[in-house]
Amino acid sequence: MSPLRAAFLPNRVIDKTTTGLIVVGWVCAALVLWLASPFKTLPTPGEIWRALGELWWQQGMGPEIFSTMRLIAHATLLTVVISLTLSYATVLPFFRPFVEAVCKLRFLGLTGLVFPFMLLTGGGYALKVALLTFGMATFFTTSMAQVVLEIPRGEFDYMRVLGASELRIVWEVVIRGTLDRALDVLRQNVAMGWAMITMVEGISRAEGGIGAMILNENKHFLLAEVYAILFVILLLGLGIDYAIGALTNVLCPYVALRRVKR
Amino acid sequence: MKDEVLLDVSGLRLTLGETLVLDDLSFKVVDRVREDCVTGQVVGLLGASGVGKTRLLRIIAGLDAPDKGTVRGQNGAVLDEGSVGYVFQDYPLLAHRRVRDNLELAGTIRGMTPDAARKRARELLETFRLSDRAEFFPAQLSGGQRQRVAIAQQIMQPRRLLLMDEPFSGLDPAALDAVMHLVVEVANMHELNTVVLVTHDIRAALAVSDTLHILGRESKNGKPVPGARVLWSYDMVERGLAWQPDIQKLPAFVELENEIRARFKDL
Repeated sequence: MSPLRAAFLPNRVIDKTTTGLIVVGWVCAALVLWLASPFKTLPTPGEIWRALGELWWQQGMGPEIFSTMRLIAHATLLTVVISLTLSYATVLPFFRPFVEAVCKLRFLGLTGLVFPFMLLTGGGYALKVALLTFGMATFFTTSMAQVVLEIPRGEFDYMRVLGASELRIVWEVVIRGTLDRALDVLRQNVAMGWAMITMVEGISRAEGGIGAMILNENKHFLLAEVYAILFVILLLGLGIDYAIGALTNVLCPYVALRRVKR
Repeated sequence: MKDEVLLDVSGLRLTLGETLVLDDLSFKVVDRVREDCVTGQVVGLLGASGVGKTRLLRIIAGLDAPDKGTVRGQNGAVLDEGSVGYVFQDYPLLAHRRVRDNLELAGTIRGMTPDAARKRARELLETFRLSDRAEFFPAQLSGGQRQRVAIAQQIMQPRRLLLMDEPFSGLDPAALDAVMHLVVEVANMHELNTVVLVTHDIRAALAVSDTLHILGRESKNGKPVPGARVLWSYDMVERGLAWQPDIQKLPAFVELENEIRARFKDL
């Protein structure tokens, strides 16, 4: 059977070359659709490219990206520390109701929290870090606490039979044993952080950042610039996503071995 | 010491919710001594699916507490969590550690020095023909290799009692023979070693055990009474059906297998 035909049959495995061809096909289709689009509001690739140059050389996009990256890195670090601590704390029954309550906070919108957080942090950079951390940590904790909750009882029993202390079991089964999934959850949450960045950076535009930049361009209806910024955000997000994936492969090489192509 | 009691399971009763799973379940394992030969014990617990075999093993391993009854080891010692080896049915291993690490961890966890654990792990890897798999992750092992690593891990520590949950399930004839051989090999590593295995494979259980207990529920007026117990025990040594090569070809073995198979149908 031809590899291309297999791509249209359910549950088939296709080789790398065919996959590459399919990807190229999809990209070409997207470009054709874009160029042939009847919507005049959609800027052309050339317009976006020119806008990107202007943003970079005239409007100082580089420092803005750095500012946003710093904010995201700071918030991500805090999120990881807070969320992993809370998730691992669920091994203690005492903390479970508290962690569950933290998870429920994910339903709160960030907008309503600006004022209390402003009072707590005094505004500026600290406010943005706090808001972004709050937004990411509630989701991170929800996912990771679930991962910990779903560890089969058999894994704990197996370690007990070996004579491991409960603390050792927490280290091997709960912390080391779920590291790959923690990195996976991190990947999702960093993406969420990027999705929240416009709103967070919009709170204090004087601090700059790529989110503030997109809001400013949006205000003046400069669509080519807006799409150019979105394009940069997409590239940065993909780069970070790839980096976390590479880190997972280094720290947890056994994960790739478990992955079976269907 | 001849006839020394190595395991004494006495009057176990276990209920799960409203269901009585085990009731007054008792059996003993004694040290069988053979002149000029190191002989461990292999005790088979045969029973239909769902009769409570795994529950019984969990109680012996100290993972679950019975409602009533006791489990004692050599010299009447109470067996607690970690004092008994237990090879689970799905052969769990730490996925993030390599085979060698898995073994060494089992040693150091109970106070073995890293050097001693490394040495013991190397010996066991050789004994179980796994030396070339030492640096593999569990995900890279075949089912049979994984089973061997799981057994090796459990005997890293100097524990005399090893429980095995369904070690013969899902094996092809060649693999089955290899595992049966392995069970006997593990038991015979030390005079006081005891392997207690639960299975529903009558032939394999008969072939490796020196004592065989059949678990089941008694019936009254044609209806099963709740709570499994040891219904029949077979002393394979007394019958001259233990410790012999090609035992499965003996007419007495075949006869006994048929007898047990017939009894099994009524359980």
